[in-house]
Amino acid sequence: MNALQGKVAGVNISSLGTGPGGSSKIRIRGQSSISGQNNPLIVINGVPVDNTNFNENASAGIKGGGVTADGGDGLSSINPDDIENMTILKGAAAAALYGSRAKDGVIMVTTKTKGKGRGIGVTYNLNYTNETPLDYTDYQTEYGQGENGVRPTAPNPTSGQWSFGEKIVPGMTHTLFNTSGIPYVAQGSRIKEFYRRGQNLSNTITLSTGNEKGGFHLSLTNAENKGIVPNNKFNRKGVNLGFSYNLTEKLSFSGNVNYTNEKNTNPPNIANQDNSIPTTLMAMSTTMPLSVLNDNKYNALGNEYNYSRFTNRTNPYWILAEQFHNIKRDRIFGNVSVKYNLLSWLFVQGRVGQDYSSRDEDVNNFPTGQASRALVTGFANGIYTQESRRFRETNLDFLISATKKFGDFDATLTGGGNQMRRILDINNVQVTDFFVRGLYSVQNGRAKDPVYTLIEQGVNSLYGSAEVSWKKTLYLNGTVRNDWFSTLSAANRSILYPSVSGAYVFSENLSNLSWLNFGKLRLGYAEVGSDGDVAPYAGQLFYAVNANLINNPSGVSVPVANSGNSIPNPNLKPSRVSETEVGLELKMFKSRVNLDVAVYKKITRDQIVQVQVSDASGFVNTRINSGESSNKGFEAMLNLVPVQNKNFTWQFTANTSYNITKVLSIITNTPGERITIGTHVFNGEVRHVVGEEMGQIAGFGYATDPTKGNQRIFQANGLPLRTSGLVLFGSALPKWTGGFLNSFNYKGISLTVFIDYKLGNKMLSGTNFNATRHGLHKNTLEGRTSGVIGQGVNQSGTTNTVVSPVQTYWEHLRSQQIIESVIYNGGYWKLRQISLGYDLTKFIPAKLPFKGVRLDLVANNVLILKKWVDNIDPETFGFGSDNQVGLESPGLPTTRGIGLNLNIKF
Amino acid sequence: MKKIFSYSLLIGLSIFTFSCDKGLEELNKNKTSPTSVDPAFLLNNAVINSSFPVKSLIFDVGIVQQMVSPNGGVLAGANFNQDSRDVTTAPIWAAYYQNVIKYTYDVIQNTKSVPARSNLYNMARIYQAYSFMILTDEYGDIPFNEAGAGYSTQVLLPKYDAQQGIYTKLIQELTEASAALNAGGTIENSDVLYSGDIAKWKKFGYSLLLRAGMRLSKADAAKAQTTVAAAFAGGVILSNADNAYIRHDANYTQPIGGTLNGSEAANFYLTKPFVDQLKNTNDPRLSAIAIRYVGATSGNGQTVAVGSTNAAQQIGMPMGKDNGTIVAQATADGLASFYDYSQADRRRILKTTSPVFLVSAAQTNLLLAEARFRGWITAGTAAQYFSDGIRAHMDQMATYDANAAVAAGARDTYVAANPLGAGTELNQINTQYWIASFLNGPEAFANFRRSGFPALTANPYGQPNNPDVPNGTFIRRLTYPTSELSINTTNVNAAIAAQGADKLSTKVWWDKP
Repeated sequence: MNALQGKVAGVNISSLGTGPGGSSKIRIRGQSSISGQNNPLIVINGVPVDNTNFNENASAGIKGGGVTADGGDGLSSINPDDIENMTILKGAAAAALYGSRAKDGVIMVTTKTKGKGRGIGVTYNLNYTNETPLDYTDYQTEYGQGENGVRPTAPNPTSGQWSFGEKIVPGMTHTLFNTSGIPYVAQGSRIKEFYRRGQNLSNTITLSTGNEKGGFHLSLTNAENKGIVPNNKFNRKGVNLGFSYNLTEKLSFSGNVNYTNEKNTNPPNIANQDNSIPTTLMAMSTTMPLSVLNDNKYNALGNEYNYSRFTNRTNPYWILAEQFHNIKRDRIFGNVSVKYNLLSWLFVQGRVGQDYSSRDEDVNNFPTGQASRALVTGFANGIYTQESRRFRETNLDFLISATKKFGDFDATLTGGGNQMRRILDINNVQVTDFFVRGLYSVQNGRAKDPVYTLIEQGVNSLYGSAEVSWKKTLYLNGTVRNDWFSTLSAANRSILYPSVSGAYVFSENLSNLSWLNFGKLRLGYAEVGSDGDVAPYAGQLFYAVNANLINNPSGVSVPVANSGNSIPNPNLKPSRVSETEVGLELKMFKSRVNLDVAVYKKITRDQIVQVQVSDASGFVNTRINSGESSNKGFEAMLNLVPVQNKNFTWQFTANTSYNITKVLSIITNTPGERITIGTHVFNGEVRHVVGEEMGQIAGFGYATDPTKGNQRIFQANGLPLRTSGLVLFGSALPKWTGGFLNSFNYKGISLTVFIDYKLGNKMLSGTNFNATRHGLHKNTLEGRTSGVIGQGVNQSGTTNTVVSPVQTYWEHLRSQQIIESVIYNGGYWKLRQISLGYDLTKFIPAKLPFKGVRLDLVANNVLILKKWVDNIDPETFGFGSDNQVGLESPGLPTTRGIGLNLNIKF
Repeated sequence: MKKIFSYSLLIGLSIFTFSCDKGLEELNKNKTSPTSVDPAFLLNNAVINSSFPVKSLIFDVGIVQQMVSPNGGVLAGANFNQDSRDVTTAPIWAAYYQNVIKYTYDVIQNTKSVPARSNLYNMARIYQAYSFMILTDEYGDIPFNEAGAGYSTQVLLPKYDAQQGIYTKLIQELTEASAALNAGGTIENSDVLYSGDIAKWKKFGYSLLLRAGMRLSKADAAKAQTTVAAAFAGGVILSNADNAYIRHDANYTQPIGGTLNGSEAANFYLTKPFVDQLKNTNDPRLSAIAIRYVGATSGNGQTVAVGSTNAAQQIGMPMGKDNGTIVAQATADGLASFYDYSQADRRRILKTTSPVFLVSAAQTNLLLAEARFRGWITAGTAAQYFSDGIRAHMDQMATYDANAAVAAGARDTYVAANPLGAGTELNQINTQYWIASFLNGPEAFANFRRSGFPALTANPYGQPNNPDVPNGTFIRRLTYPTSELSINTTNVNAAIAAQGADKLSTKVWWDKP
């Protein structure tokens, strides 16, 4: 997916620092929902497929804690080699055909269903990339491990995550674990030393054939990925069969079946405290040699040997050795469609599509002996979870379509219906503490908590569309669709929504303008109804009895029961998106200057908003139909061909998009009304605030004195005073996204250079927050010897002169939750990709059985041209969820990939 | 055009042989979860979840200077005189409203018109009153009349009620419910607190009534007196066998024990005022409670091998120190590091499975000692209640762990050496109450504010200009959570207008000089 990044105007793709097999985050024209996700719908050969995101921070992942790994999404099982083309439908207009799930756009993938020539064509494709982890840290290296200016000299220090020690002088030593005499010197790059180079190797063989009657396309693929975390690997094997055949003049069918088998071993935990290697590495003391950490991961009892008084900062080597996480997924999806031409101008089509997957997962959330966990008398402590889930989505649809010419008019009428059903069932067993140490199985668990979940939902739809055109100059298109959602009550489950669009190909009337090859003006209005991703059964309150009983004073085991924490609302009705769009398309000067621009405005009303309620109600939240937001923006794509001759072509494409999303109302439209949608693992949160841009980062700032030129205020002990409440630091949603693509072709050698950018978004950097409070950030160099005197005034308005000890000064930010110093501009400019390709066919001796050979060399994520955040790549986000947008917490480092693609046709 | 369009739709409809929402209703039925359960199971949940959350350790226990951490971050609270209402550790507010009041309310709703569950109904009323008392003692004015009703009446943003009115209602509820408990009715055997024992529930109810009455000793002495007399007449907990406590086990661990055996094991220490009080009076409870890992320089050094429970070796951490200033203090105290100060022993009295006492015979006897001293009851003598209270607490130690038991001889020696003295009754009684309420943060905090004893020195951290706590004073209440200020704005602002600024230093209604 990341191949699309920055290349399509209005599409924002984020790569998450979560390892191979991880999910991608795609947002088209920004995000519109106040609560809930904004994922576009993935449609393969006309049928929607499941794109459930298993990024543990995004969904209800593995319960019990300790796991924050990205378990991937539904897109990852599509082999790029099978893709014939991919189209992105940005506007709401797509929804007439694909229904409510298309309200955030559609990614339409068409896979190959037949070959291009007679006989069996065989193609072999090899793709290899080597991923180098990138280190953007610029930490201080003058002061080593320790606290309050003292380096550790007694055995078993727990200052392993603190660099407030002594000034490093050559020859100095310190004590770590039980070893004294360890040189007190700044270590090199943690990232380069701990992580390995990732390697991705994928082999695909394709067999295909085709003629005018039909054909097939069969591919076999094996992709092996070694993640940069030393025990992480991901394997995907896949078979894809596409076929199409015209049985008679009137009857034709086509279909595809895709089977994948995926195994994700040890997807890394990220962006949290416990078990998260990136968090720990990014805060490791300046002078701690990783080899010492590795050699001392176990104490005398075989448990984790604690090195940090924040025991949650689990030793990364201990995690590698003790924690495992396996995810296996078998997935088969595909569809068959039959089309029958009743008359030359009328056809009917029926289609059955299914997406089925089974997914088995097991993980020891907390391995036995973790330093942050309480030991248990008589048992080995720890938590282990085993889960298996089956998912099935079926789509049945039919279509009837008529096309006819009446004089200068062409008309197409289409009617159809769709029945969608999803069923998900999950068997989950979690066990706590073990009889036999080191054996992670459910039967070896002391306390067992089995849960079976069955979730069913469905949508029925009917739709129709009419398109009329006049002399290929004027086009008018109207659609109407009605959806019925099972997740809403009988009275509210139906919604009808229309769209209308028109286009004027004015170039047809301006044939005297020889420089104008094509010109089109388009105008559209569309509505989409949605059940707002309401979970099935959300209209009722359910109870659950705990698996484990408890003894009452008489020694009798008695049950304990609880109920859901969301107040059910059975009266929810569908929400409605309405979007207006105007576009202009121009092809000029022999199509060497091409421009495509669009302006849109999208209003989302009656949003189903999950609002937090007062704790005193007894509940956490409820869902209400409320909330209104507007997205406004424009998209422009300019394509130039400055040079075009026999040997050399230079193409330049620039695209840009601007989107701004405003919250118009939540419960009411009172400006300032707000909801918190996500909180950072450390401090700070994301809010939606009426009257503001969506996705505001909020937190405590430094209190300032308005009568003293807004200087910061310091307390009597020299520590900064915080603001009286949480303040808004700006929206975490990017306003500008886009890129520049230059491609050169010289006698068959092609070179492309691609630059992309994302601008106008704020981020809260958890990595820098830790680096600051642990003494790694260069800001903390000030006042190491004599303490910090904060620049500002004291509470009575005179210049602050109080000296505060340096460690206290910076740790105070955590105690007081002041995040202002780690709020950054989250934008960037990147040299995203350089690729060089050459068709080697002509060098192949004719006697060899090769019809064609092509070699491409590709470098990805080549260089950051500009960024604003310290110490990290602004794209290393662990969180994919929209309710964590802008909240950075250490994810895996981003990588520079260098690779090749070899394609041989036989 | 339009016609053709409608025709095609019609054809579509006819091909679509099912009606358009057929089957959808059936799909939307949850086939695995119940929509009701025996309410007794919900009361059990309320009881277990009322175990004091970690935030009680960070505030209550620190305010009354029993345990404190020199470290900040999520542990910043009473130790730094800091209003950290948003720190991620579970505050008592959310813990109680969402996990206790929610369930007692549910039980009350589902049993009030079911005569066969009349005892369960009254047990839930008592438990709800107990929980509300903690909430109002901690925060002052709170949502009371409309609280817990999010589901049944869809009150998402409940109004706040004044503490004075809340106490009137609590006293009424405790009085009515305790009286209404009927040994001839259905016995709720699956009750986790007392196995449905009506006599014990009655004593629990009247002991809470006694507690509520005593709480008003300064705000409304007349009402306090009548309430205390009524409670005493009803029969209160006087023996450890009747103590109300949560019997945590491996599956239902207690939050503070979990934290102090897990991630914060090396971060909390007994305070100097607490250790000195016990040490200076040769209190045998010191060696039952405390352990000092002699010479420890880090959490790793806190091993059983170097642990000493010898009272003479215990050294408490002075108040007002942070991670920086504690270094020199530890050196001055002759210690290897701050890890060398005394801790509450996590292997004896603060295990993950340690019981959590809600109302004990020790507390009740000590309240009666004060009531008798004030002349609000006439039976017995203050001195006898006083020594019975001390004895009960010392005997209670064995419930934590056999190794925390106080020997009868040592107990009697202490009691004999520390009789109730003329002129110092309130100080002595409430100092003992402070010790007896160790590990019951909310009650220790409330009674310290009410009585003003023991005579502690205010935490000097951040003084003289600490923005949250005026110099020389103590924290008097906890502040409302940010979520209330964001979500329930109108109602919480009305409460703030009535009660006073939403600050740690604002006094609740019953907190009178």
